Amino acid sequence: MRELQELSSKLLSEGDVSVVIGYEEGPRGVRPAFIRTPEETNRLVFDHRAVQNLAVYLSPRRAHLRKRGRPAVVIKGCDARAVAGLLRESQISRDDVVLIGVRCGGVYRDPESNGPLSEENVADRCTGCDLREPGHVDHLVGELPSEPPATDRRKSRIAGIEAMSPEERFDFWSSELERCIRCHACREVCPMCVCERCVCEKTDPSWVESSPHLRGALAWQITHALHLAGRCSDCGECERACPAGIPLSLIKGKVNQVVEDRFDYRAGDDPDVPSPLGDFRLEDDQEFIK
Amino acid sequence: MARIGVFVCHCGENIGRTVDCEAVANACGELPGVVHAVDYKYMCSDPGQNLIKEAIAEKNLTGVVVAACSPHMHEKTFRKATEGAGLNPYLCEMTNIREQCSWIHEDRDAATAKAIDLTRFISEKIKRNSPLAPISISLERRALVIGGGISGLQAALDMADGGREVVLVEKQPSIGGHMSRLSETFPTLDCSQCILTPRMVEVHQHPRIKLLTYSEIESVDGYIGNFSVKIRKKARGVDETRCNGCGECQSVCPMKKIPSEFDAGLGNRTAIYVPFPQAVPNIPVIDRENCLRIKGMQKKKAKAACGRCAEACGRDAIDFEQEDTFVTEKVGAIVVATGYQLYSIGKEQTRKGITGYGEYGYGTVPDVIDGMQFERIASASGPSGGEIVRPSDGKVPKRVVFLQCIGSREPSKGIEYCSKLCCMYVAKHTMLYRHKVHDGEAIVFYMDIRAGGKGYDEFVRRAIEEDGAKYIRGRVSSIQREGEKVRLTGFDTLSGEQMEIDADMVVLATAMQAQPGIESLAQKLSVSYDGHGFINEAHPKLRPVDTNTAGVFVAGACQAPRDIPDSVAMASATASKVLGMFSKERLEREPTVAGVDKVTCSGCFHCERACPYGAVERYEVLNRSGEVEKVIAEVNEGVCQGCGSCQVACPSKSIELEGFTDAQIFAAINAL
Repeated sequence: MRELQELSSKLLSEGDVSVVIGYEEGPRGVRPAFIRTPEETNRLVFDHRAVQNLAVYLSPRRAHLRKRGRPAVVIKGCDARAVAGLLRESQISRDDVVLIGVRCGGVYRDPESNGPLSEENVADRCTGCDLREPGHVDHLVGELPSEPPATDRRKSRIAGIEAMSPEERFDFWSSELERCIRCHACREVCPMCVCERCVCEKTDPSWVESSPHLRGALAWQITHALHLAGRCSDCGECERACPAGIPLSLIKGKVNQVVEDRFDYRAGDDPDVPSPLGDFRLEDDQEFIK
Repeated sequence: MARIGVFVCHCGENIGRTVDCEAVANACGELPGVVHAVDYKYMCSDPGQNLIKEAIAEKNLTGVVVAACSPHMHEKTFRKATEGAGLNPYLCEMTNIREQCSWIHEDRDAATAKAIDLTRFISEKIKRNSPLAPISISLERRALVIGGGISGLQAALDMADGGREVVLVEKQPSIGGHMSRLSETFPTLDCSQCILTPRMVEVHQHPRIKLLTYSEIESVDGYIGNFSVKIRKKARGVDETRCNGCGECQSVCPMKKIPSEFDAGLGNRTAIYVPFPQAVPNIPVIDRENCLRIKGMQKKKAKAACGRCAEACGRDAIDFEQEDTFVTEKVGAIVVATGYQLYSIGKEQTRKGITGYGEYGYGTVPDVIDGMQFERIASASGPSGGEIVRPSDGKVPKRVVFLQCIGSREPSKGIEYCSKLCCMYVAKHTMLYRHKVHDGEAIVFYMDIRAGGKGYDEFVRRAIEEDGAKYIRGRVSSIQREGEKVRLTGFDTLSGEQMEIDADMVVLATAMQAQPGIESLAQKLSVSYDGHGFINEAHPKLRPVDTNTAGVFVAGACQAPRDIPDSVAMASATASKVLGMFSKERLEREPTVAGVDKVTCSGCFHCERACPYGAVERYEVLNRSGEVEKVIAEVNEGVCQGCGSCQVACPSKSIELEGFTDAQIFAAINAL
């Protein structure tokens, strides 16, 4: 923590960056913080409650943040996947941002949790994490903590849905998505949603119904999942932000699994590895062409 | 308001037999926005086209739908007619009720209903069509020819004589290709070199031909009218500007026993060599594998080995240190004329899936040679000075057996096609042999004799009837050494007899294959090739020298097995295509290209990665102070082929393909 605060103070006082985007204590666990002076850096914290993916603040859609000058951003290994995605898709250039990587031993599902990490409170994505130390960063802080506890909660839920018949599965998702109020919090919080204008509001005639109706909700969530295939950093923010409690990370988790099975690819922290969605290789699986 | 005219064609019986065209026209007349609907026997005929023109004028149509054959067939015809009547041609669309309806269905009622659906589909689309204007792009009026064999030479000469500059790139140290190695040519028996070398010299001296020998294509960028080609000039080891071709270096080179490629391994050459006396340019090249000096340099020996050629050279032209250099040429059109290689008879093969003929003992049984080796033996410039002698002991062979179809038409060996010219050159070989060895016996084993062509069958008849070649229909199963003779075991399929023949020499007529490495060149040029590596033409009948990439043409044996007359005809055809293209100052092309919505593009460049033609470029959006606000995608209209890959890849649907916008397609689908 001290290391992170000192580094941030140095970056700000030397004028390297004009804002450090990190975590601070908030009313419900930790919350994102925008630190602009060296004096404020003592507010920065980092622990198991740091669930938020701060890479979302680098997206060019947040031009008002960009205008405040060059940022440094605190990122965990999983967040580094999103940063790599933004770099891969030319949304940011590497020189425009300073990346402060933190070694991470896993986070809670809910930033309000406390106590040691356990099978019950650990975030799904932390199981088997291979990016506890983010690569391709400018600074790396913290000691490498021990591995987070593993949970097969999401895996077993996905397996449960896979075991359903198509009709049961449709009923399951219908009942979940019926609650969707189309607030698009899932989109706002998604670091990979970089479009200037979302496709669901662009086409004329509209392809995605905009009223909170099951048809539109299904169409939107399918569109979001497909647009994230091979790009999703699996930060789980969509599900965490959803006020209706729709288990969106099950969809994303399944799509990620399909991409991994088909193309032997998981969104990593290296921006130079192309995503299968934007890349053609002769050895790509082509069994779908029959 | 839309005022659509629907024109339903019977295509004689082709559509009318299965589809009730009158009913289609009547039903379409009721569609919203359709103000005119008629059917006619042949809409593409003059009276048919006039129906369209008259309706446009009389009914003041805003769109024309022709329900007929495939747009591949007649879209141009009908768009031209539409334009002739003063309507923008892109306000005319076809719907295919022949290939996609009448030809594939039998039930008349169902087919008629489907034809109505298909027509409604397009009539909804066309309401959203907008007038488009052709795109004009700049044109570099110079051409590149790849390959300096007879095809490449002919193409280069025709284009240069037509007034355009040509860059001719040849991989080998000399131009001339395979033809320069042949003794005489069928069906006239004129000397190959005598007709070829004047052409080679003409190319060399032509003021508008830039000749780059010992060079290869490194990369190709750009598009029709504006190619940028990077060419690797391989290190020759000899300064071309200083060398006067005196040949002193060759005479002092101590490496004298290197098998000559030109003589198909029957003769020898030195390490610094001119491939053959009539080579163009007459400048030697150093074989880096065999030169003692260069091998010494590669091993970093302190004391320089050899170097006699450099000492002998009176003009200080030898440069052992020379390295590969690169030149970039800007051209508007490219002719691919890379030719062929001969099938390798032994087990070693350059192409996958092809097995050799180990049973014929090529390379192990002496005096079993291939057709090209026989050409060299029979050639006046060959190692034996044109005297027919066998390689093992230099004796004149009194019985020579020729085997046809070695490799060709043998799917089990990997090549199912006919190489086309082996029947002819075997007949020629028997004649050449009999003309020189009067008491010799020429025996030919053949599967069929394929001698289609002007004077070709007469030529084969002459070999059999006048020059006494014995043709046996059948195959040879094995070839073995028997004392000084070569014993063939075979089968005569006409008499049904097993035969054994002792020959003095055996000549194997090998198949023609695509050049090794042609795939990599084809990929650089974005042209397609078949499973054998032959370049695909755009249309086997109507566009035989075009490729599927605009501005790239194909001539000669790199497209399929070709003999000399065919190759020359193809080469002249490519030249006429290129000259036709170069007759205008600028190129016009179809406006159905992609365009980017600059407001909503977020610059993720998925389109750039999806584009197979490299048409997506980066465009900087500036704010009022001239600073870069964002970088977005832009489509180069000259390169875009309108395939729509980018449109699909764009996550924010910020790319539209002109003539195929989402709104048009959506409306069409909704109409079904």
